[in-house]
Amino acid sequence: MSTSDAPVRSSSLRSRAPWAVPVGVAVAVAAAFGAPPLLAAAGDADLPDVTAEELLARVAAAEPVPVTGTVVYTARLGLPELPVSEATGADPLVLLGGSSTLRVWSDGGERSRVSLLGTASEYSVVHDGPEAWTYSSVDDEVVHYTLDAEGRARYDAAAEKARDGVRPEVAEGLPTPEELARTALTRAEEHSTVSVDAPTTVAGRPAYQAVVTPRTSGTLVDRVVVAVDHETSAPLRVQVWSTQDPDVPALEIGFTDVSFSAPDAGVLEFSAPAGAEQREVVVPTPPDAADAERLAQERLSDLDLTEVPDPTELLPPGVTVTGEGWDAVTEVAGVDVAALLAGDAASADELGERVIGSERAQELIGEFRGDGGGELDLDVSVLYEQLTTEVPEGRLLSSTLLSVLVTPDGRVLVGAVPAATLLGLA
Amino acid sequence: MSHAELGVWPRMLRAELRLVFGRRRNLALLAGLAAVPVILGLVVFATQDSALAGQGPGFLARITGNGLFLVVTALFLCLPFLLPLTTGIASGDAIAGEASGGTLRYLLTLPVPRTRLLAVKAVATLAFVASAVLGIALVASVTGAALFGVGDLALLSGTTIPASAGMARVAGVVAYVALSLTGLVAVGLFFSTLTEVPVGAMAATVVVAVVSAVLDSLPQLASIHPALLTHHWFDFAEFLRVEVDWGVLGQGLAVQAAWVAVFGALAWSRFVTADVTS
Repeated sequence: MSTSDAPVRSSSLRSRAPWAVPVGVAVAVAAAFGAPPLLAAAGDADLPDVTAEELLARVAAAEPVPVTGTVVYTARLGLPELPVSEATGADPLVLLGGSSTLRVWSDGGERSRVSLLGTASEYSVVHDGPEAWTYSSVDDEVVHYTLDAEGRARYDAAAEKARDGVRPEVAEGLPTPEELARTALTRAEEHSTVSVDAPTTVAGRPAYQAVVTPRTSGTLVDRVVVAVDHETSAPLRVQVWSTQDPDVPALEIGFTDVSFSAPDAGVLEFSAPAGAEQREVVVPTPPDAADAERLAQERLSDLDLTEVPDPTELLPPGVTVTGEGWDAVTEVAGVDVAALLAGDAASADELGERVIGSERAQELIGEFRGDGGGELDLDVSVLYEQLTTEVPEGRLLSSTLLSVLVTPDGRVLVGAVPAATLLGLA
Repeated sequence: MSHAELGVWPRMLRAELRLVFGRRRNLALLAGLAAVPVILGLVVFATQDSALAGQGPGFLARITGNGLFLVVTALFLCLPFLLPLTTGIASGDAIAGEASGGTLRYLLTLPVPRTRLLAVKAVATLAFVASAVLGIALVASVTGAALFGVGDLALLSGTTIPASAGMARVAGVVAYVALSLTGLVAVGLFFSTLTEVPVGAMAATVVVAVVSAVLDSLPQLASIHPALLTHHWFDFAEFLRVEVDWGVLGQGLAVQAAWVAVFGALAWSRFVTADVTS
């Protein structure tokens, strides 16, 4: 191959000519794989202008549409590296950090399935009216959630439109853009200013962007950006930006692929596979919370977004809220942290069901709750040790969106505020 | 193309296949791979009533419920190392083996273009790799059916589908796994044209698969993960979800096709330009 022993220059040139082929192939391959995303990114959506009010009204008035799609969820909460890897398979704990892929099917009404995909594993949450199931392929375990008698009565009595709040809450639920967007937008005008950003493209669909900015500067949340489909007004992407990191969203959940056609009926059905372990959970109806939810739902359906009931009036005993809106800090007294760490499901659920100041906090608390049933994949106390740091006031968890302080006398302070605020209150 | 020339293709391929499948080392390799599901099935069968039942990676716990899962589990366990090793041995040997044996020179004196010789080598290697995957699958399904029976299949999503549909899904898994190895075959073939030492080409091929898997596990390199040779290998699990996303599978196969195109072209240009002295 070397030129030194080649007798004639032209023959060595000819013998090199075939090497142009792999170069050409490599260029073609790079173009084929690299071009589509570039093209997609180039064309920004060209949509008629809307005002923030119009956009909010459109979202509120939008008829629920069936959705089938793939969702990518990315969390950059600045938490310490967790001992959860791909090898663990699909476990809701992976949502605490890094990127996860979810698949969403919804008929636009009371039936839906959300699956967290893992390497050769899957965690599914299926809602069907007054019933819900979670299924983990790793543990081969089904958890069946049903409403208690009172909840069931309310469910049956409620008009179809207002039923959403009555459906059973799953202990380890999975987030969807729809759900997050709704919490961000329905309370938007209370403590925030809403503006409109330039239209964008999400999952190949042109979308409007609503920017919800907290009025206070005392919160870790810088802004929430919701991308709304131009046609169906369904939320396509939610980005939560932290004041700690101006470059990338701390939490991002959005469709990478979406279609608004009704999913296959078989997908929305669930019957426990033979041989799987099955647990029954009857979801109690906390009277206050249910009323609040229903009230909120009714107001929502009246399109009156400004009048959301004051959550402080409906607080369960032992819970105090300092401040309101984004920088609210919720203090829960008399929490038996040791029992929680031992996987005591009852107290864990109790903590989770309580209304926490901001929706973000509520959400994260949901994720920090144990497995709900005592049988844990990870040693929760190890997790607790890893996530929190020792401070004079107790143990502190600080992330880019949420701070949690646990004091030795059994108080838990939670808020979407800087850690210093919590330490000051404690 | 004359009739005589048309006849050369199958004859060359037949000879090459006889060479590959006649080699004792290769047969031992196939037998070793086929033993994996048998051992796996017996271990699971023996421990199914003990405290050890249900422990282990991936689908291991599901085998006792349905023998079909033995096929998936066996492939799942062979895919990270044993199958790349098999692929490396077969493809690394393809050209370098002839070169080290001194037979490549004589092969090239035949009135056959080098391109065609390379194509025949590639097809024979692919056939060997495919038969390795199929061998595991066949032995696993027979063992699984004999030890645990075959019934309705519970998917990863918790949905149960009839046994016939389950078999089709498992067949899809087998096909996807076999096609997932084509990129590595092309890489091995290229290495095989670079050297006269077959062991070197074999080792380099296995190293590529291992390095790819290591890079795939580094979150810092997430941006290049989709292009990695091994990144989509375990997407075969898509066949075991309630709704198969063909886009995911297509993406995985497209990446393999890209590796085949690039390294196939590299192997070709190296082989047609190489000075063969031995």
